[in-house]
Amino acid sequence: MFQHTPLRLTTLALLAAGSLAYTFAAGFFGLEILAEIAILAILVIALDLVAGFGGMVSLCHGALLGVGAYAFTVAATEAGLSAAPAMALAIALSAALAFAIGAVCARSTGIYFIMATLAFGQMGYSFVFQSPLFGGDDGLAGAPRPDLGAIGIDLTDSRAFAIYAILLVAVTYLVAAATLRSGLGRSLVGLHHNEKRLRALGLTVWRAKATAFAISGALAGLAGCLAAQHTQYISPGLLSWTVSGEALVVVILGGLGTLVGPILGAILFVVLKHEISALTPYWHAIVGLILIAVVMSRANGVVGFVEARLATRKPQPLVKEAKADA
Amino acid sequence: MLETRNLTKSFGPIQVTKSVSLKLEKGERRVILGPNGAGKTTLFNQLVGEIIPNAGSIHLDGADVTALRVADRARRGLSRSYQKNTLFDALTIRENLGLAAAVALGKGQGLWSDPLQSPEVRETVREVAALVDLAPNLDATVSAVSYGIRRQLEVGIALATRPKVILMDEPTSGVGPEMSKGFHRLLKSLPRELTILIIEHDMDLAFDVADTITVLNYGEVVFDGLPEAAKGSQLLKDIYLGAWEDA
Repeated sequence: MFQHTPLRLTTLALLAAGSLAYTFAAGFFGLEILAEIAILAILVIALDLVAGFGGMVSLCHGALLGVGAYAFTVAATEAGLSAAPAMALAIALSAALAFAIGAVCARSTGIYFIMATLAFGQMGYSFVFQSPLFGGDDGLAGAPRPDLGAIGIDLTDSRAFAIYAILLVAVTYLVAAATLRSGLGRSLVGLHHNEKRLRALGLTVWRAKATAFAISGALAGLAGCLAAQHTQYISPGLLSWTVSGEALVVVILGGLGTLVGPILGAILFVVLKHEISALTPYWHAIVGLILIAVVMSRANGVVGFVEARLATRKPQPLVKEAKADA
Repeated sequence: MLETRNLTKSFGPIQVTKSVSLKLEKGERRVILGPNGAGKTTLFNQLVGEIIPNAGSIHLDGADVTALRVADRARRGLSRSYQKNTLFDALTIRENLGLAAAVALGKGQGLWSDPLQSPEVRETVREVAALVDLAPNLDATVSAVSYGIRRQLEVGIALATRPKVILMDEPTSGVGPEMSKGFHRLLKSLPRELTILIIEHDMDLAFDVADTITVLNYGEVVFDGLPEAAKGSQLLKDIYLGAWEDA
């Protein structure tokens, strides 16, 4: 089950304090990278919710992010909605699509679930890529940033936008944590371990999976809104399976089923991407080597590695420690 | 309370249950005996909906549930334990029992509160843990406890749903004599209004707890009656009980 260990709470506090402090120290490029990290962090928390805790490894979360980005942009530019209702609409649409995908894929598990979600994701990508309504290959420009002028905040300013993005990561984390502590979250973890038994106990498995997928989809949609607001230009590439693949890499790198691990993974991934890509165009290969090292270490990502190290320093009790979740 | 009428199931050319008709009254404790391959577990799987019968019907509390899915039957009060432990290994015993109770109470998909903290679920966990003698182990992870404790939990999870009818598939399978005696005590201590159907190879337990006994052989009901009659039946001696009688 999901639990906050002292280590994870400390990490969260340090991340929150460190990122907020960084917004005041960083220059323009640093703030842009911070916003990029925040967008990826929201996406990977969403993915960890279903993949790490529910065992539903999805390759359509990039597409759900893309749906959020496109729905927000179209609602704000074509339909003329202001940013807040456009975001609500985009998040609701991502959630609804995710519910449908979750309901259809609920009967499959493992590699079949992955392939089914990949198929849905690529359907979305192809549709947006071909559709003139969404600008086809050219994408769409003009996604606005929320107007918070009434409270004296100008989100066109990089620093303000970075803080706004960090706050959305915090909201995402709280939603994911609350979901995992709810009845649905308890069942989600149970489904990961023993779907057959939960069905025999009376749980409507498809509905539980679809609802969890919908919440995750809503969060991915939020990441999409933020991505659109960040660059103010979106293209079909956002829906590509490679975005989902990268998100999965980040979750594994940080620690599957830990919630805080994927945030660390997002930081590592984006920083490595920017630092190594400045040295070599083959930065993906370096990230790949790091991922292989993490997987071969048999630790559950960065968080799992640290927790395992700390656990070896004290005697192993029979009674469950807080570290054993998911 | 639970009734089957001419329940039939085939896997290809092999008929594993042949027109099985049973009727359990409320509070009845029936033991199903039969040699390996007699179709006992297949019968259980049909009763809970994990296998769809080819013919016949299943009635729970007067309603035909043959077409209902596994979860729907569970929500109507039909619970089971498995011959092979089917637990949530990475969770604690408290979480296992709590999850079962939460789902049975309809809290398994709620979004606004933690069902494991609800008074009803906590009370169920406390009661069931006391009943199956797991109270000292509540905070132990399932993967860290002995096989015997896991067998107790297997039954505990089924009980945590507060069922009307419970099906137990060889609850003493693989446990030692002491723990087997513990199961005797457990079964006798269960509320009398609970209807219980047990598959069991332990003859002492079978004749100790059973109100009635049904014997399956090659998928057919070959005996259905009181334990005393079963003990004296020549047919049973021939197909199943000879070794027990001689021992």
